[in-house]
Amino acid sequence: MPVIELQDVSKLYGFGDATTIALDEVSLKIESGEFVAVMGPSGSGKSTLMNLLGLLDHPTHGSYKLGDRFVSRLRPNLRAKARRDTIGFVFQSFNLLPNMTVLENVALPLAYKGMTKTRRLKQAGHVLERVGLSDREYFYPYQLSGGQAQRAAIARALVNNPSIIIADEPTGNLDSAASRVVMEVLSDIHASGSTILMVTHNPELTRYASRVVFMRDGSIVTDEQSAIGELSETVRRRSYFVRHKTVEDDLAGVSALMGAVQDKDTQPKAVKKKRSSKAKSYKAREKRTKAK
Amino acid sequence: MINVNTRMALASIGSARWRSFLTMLGVIIGVLSVVTIVSLGEGVKQQLGAQVKRSGQDLLTVRGGHLATRSNQGKITSVNLLNLFGGNALSDSDLQTIQKVPGLKLVAPFAVVAGVPQADDGTQVEDVTIVATNDKGADALSQDVVYGGFFGADDNNKPVAVIGKRVAERLFRANVPIGRSFELRGQKFIVQGVFQEFDANPLTPGIDYNQAVFVPYEFIKRSTTTPLTPYQILVRPDNKQTPQAAGQAITDTLKQAHGGQADFTVLQAADNIAIANNVLNILTSLVTSIAGISLLVGGIGIMNIMLVAVSERTHEIGIRKSIGATNRQILSQFLTEAVVLSTVGGFLGVLASLAANYFLRLFTNLQPVITWPIMGIAVAVAIAVGTFFGMTPALKAARKDPIEALRRI
Repeated sequence: MPVIELQDVSKLYGFGDATTIALDEVSLKIESGEFVAVMGPSGSGKSTLMNLLGLLDHPTHGSYKLGDRFVSRLRPNLRAKARRDTIGFVFQSFNLLPNMTVLENVALPLAYKGMTKTRRLKQAGHVLERVGLSDREYFYPYQLSGGQAQRAAIARALVNNPSIIIADEPTGNLDSAASRVVMEVLSDIHASGSTILMVTHNPELTRYASRVVFMRDGSIVTDEQSAIGELSETVRRRSYFVRHKTVEDDLAGVSALMGAVQDKDTQPKAVKKKRSSKAKSYKAREKRTKAK
Repeated sequence: MINVNTRMALASIGSARWRSFLTMLGVIIGVLSVVTIVSLGEGVKQQLGAQVKRSGQDLLTVRGGHLATRSNQGKITSVNLLNLFGGNALSDSDLQTIQKVPGLKLVAPFAVVAGVPQADDGTQVEDVTIVATNDKGADALSQDVVYGGFFGADDNNKPVAVIGKRVAERLFRANVPIGRSFELRGQKFIVQGVFQEFDANPLTPGIDYNQAVFVPYEFIKRSTTTPLTPYQILVRPDNKQTPQAAGQAITDTLKQAHGGQADFTVLQAADNIAIANNVLNILTSLVTSIAGISLLVGGIGIMNIMLVAVSERTHEIGIRKSIGATNRQILSQFLTEAVVLSTVGGFLGVLASLAANYFLRLFTNLQPVITWPIMGIAVAVAIAVGTFFGMTPALKAARKDPIEALRRI
């Protein structure tokens, strides 16, 4: 039985000529226990889709069935309760509350459920142990590394035993080592039977997923199953065309171009000078970007 | 959830102590002024009650000027503040007229005489009041003479004096200066008694009897050319007639003597309390309206700071909503914060008024009394202010769109 079922779901913003179609009649079925990676360029509708699936927003048209319940037209309070009981969010920027300890942060969703303090702290302690952070319970978020903070955020998403975990670029702010740890934790959670939806820009991370969905212009363009540990066919094909360029590559390109222009130069010196100063300012800008 | 909200509110107040204190200041000042004025009124009422109890219900006070308007039942309906504190005096002939009214056990005039007493060693005390009265003065005031004795009927024409406790300390630097003399208006007076310390009398703000020298009325009348003008004549009827009947008789007689003009007032014992209540009600309503404005400003301050808090914490609202907080839970979180702010303000206001009362008791002769109901009402009003003014920011927080809120950093 599908845990998520979208039927011709659209999301429109604005009115009249300024109408933007963020999602265009998307239909999607996700079975319980799937690990779905959602990929696509910026503005393709990934985040809108996640917001709808996570009950942070409601569709303009179409129906959304979560488990055995239609949730597309729920009132805000009921939507919040459904969100609290069935969905766990993991954000790119962790979104832990800075004035609370890790334990309190993790226990917060249970407070909204009305659980007593002792019970919710106990339950939060168990989940923190599961993500390997039991020794950081009384730390504040600013005392944690990026990877630890993201694991605490995962623990917060897990504490209510949600049927779906929605992770919006969970490794976007992490270095590769911390990313790997976080992905292993998500993989463990998936292995224990949870359904995970993850937005990512990193094709390598789709190796953890059992299904990869590509989006463009508010529509799903490809949707394919993939073996865990393998890259899906579409990812492999697209990765081939993605040029992994660094700032140095770009600069090298510019200098090569300039060299070619100088060799065959027949233009007045003033123009040459102007070009080289333009290149210099480009370099300086790149340096500034790098420094930032 | 209320516990969690309260704890979070306290933490939030604690993290911005100075800002929170400034926000609370309006509420603090409002509560401070209301509690102080109400407790002052309560204190004055209690003091007057005790005084009336001590002097007896049958003591009548005759004062110059039209002090109060009465209803048909004889109850005071309004007070003429100008006459009450302006002091229209009676005359010596009024005293003689009253003395002729039958059925009076005691008639004691009280007139202020100008002069500065000087002790034998040259010490002068300038802020001492000289009060001329007759041998019934102590009885009329229901005050004991703790050392020596009050002047008797045969002392009325002698240069003797009974002094207040402070005069003894300041003029003679002694507790019991019996037999010692001082000079007043070129005449030597011998101290023959010292009064027990008078309780503070809130209705005679000009005269502190502890700082007064009591001299025989008849003697002063004979020895000065200026006519004596009693500011009050205290009267006690004998047992055969009621104070009301005696009061009516005095009123009728004096009115006749004044050519039909009621330019004087005969006050029953309970009337003093009625006048005090009347004056206090005017004062209380005045201060309460000022305190009301202060509470209003305080409330607006709370609303303002809560609106800032909602704006600053939009991202936090987004996070809370994304992990399952309902609109009502967000509303209750911010409303609790506003109510905690105003309640803490209310408590601080009550504490400040306790301190103010302590200093009032220490440095003035007022005896304010703070009661539990006064404090309870003050804190309840503070809570109401917080709820009322915290509602708009809390609603604003609750209605935030979670997606928009999450985007705001």
